[in-house]
Amino acid sequence: MNQENFNPNDAKLSALLHRSRSGHSLPPRFQEDVWRRIEESEIPVAVRRGWLDALAAWALRPRFALATAIVLVLAGSLAGARQGRQAARADAQSRYVASVAPNSLGK
Amino acid sequence: MKRPLLILVIALLAGGALFAGSYVMGRRVCEACSARTTDDLGWLRQEFHLSDAEMARVRALHDGYLPKCADMCGQIAAKKQELDVALAGATNISPVAKQKLTELAVLRSQCQAQMLEHFIQVSHAMPPEQGRRYLSEMERLTIGAHEQTEQTMSTHAGHVHGEH
Repeated sequence: MNQENFNPNDAKLSALLHRSRSGHSLPPRFQEDVWRRIEESEIPVAVRRGWLDALAAWALRPRFALATAIVLVLAGSLAGARQGRQAARADAQSRYVASVAPNSLGK
Repeated sequence: MKRPLLILVIALLAGGALFAGSYVMGRRVCEACSARTTDDLGWLRQEFHLSDAEMARVRALHDGYLPKCADMCGQIAAKKQELDVALAGATNISPVAKQKLTELAVLRSQCQAQMLEHFIQVSHAMPPEQGRRYLSEMERLTIGAHEQTEQTMSTHAGHVHGEH
């Protein structure tokens, strides 16, 4: 809007505004709502962020991301190694049983 | 989608992929290390913590048993073929087929007896506690497998009879 053309005491504008409002009543508690909105707009953005934003911000912290990655790699490797050992043990056992008892399963 | 939610979803997916990748790698490395040993007796050494001297005794018994086992397997296979011939195209069990079934059963029981005898000999080559554990484990894995099958069949048969 052009500031030079804006005049709050403009008689024509006041008349127009009056006319535009005639016949329309303001909703209940209109003034309270306006003040509430003004107050909300003054609250900093960081305070208004929800838990999701906070969690996302936490996840993006390099230290947290690195620590989580290390823990996941360690846990995955250990779980995999354990499973691999068990599978290898079962395989070795089957090999031995097959060598000494090929007919043990009715083959 | 909101940006924070997108970040969290990507982080979760990346974390899951990292865990899964490490799991697969760890498993493969461990399996590859264990698969290097092709020795049939490797399991005995590992499972029953046998010394070199005990392993040598067990190996000698094992090597002595294998030809006997192979001979018995050959006899069983030959008897199975004879049974197949006796059963081929027959709608009834002929006396010959019955005879072959009996002979096959006898051979199998001889094979099992020989196998158990070998297990007992091997268990004596181990420290007493490990020997007992070995014997019980081998009985479970060989004779026990038959018992389990028979038990399942008898339970199933009893269930079916019960229904009638």
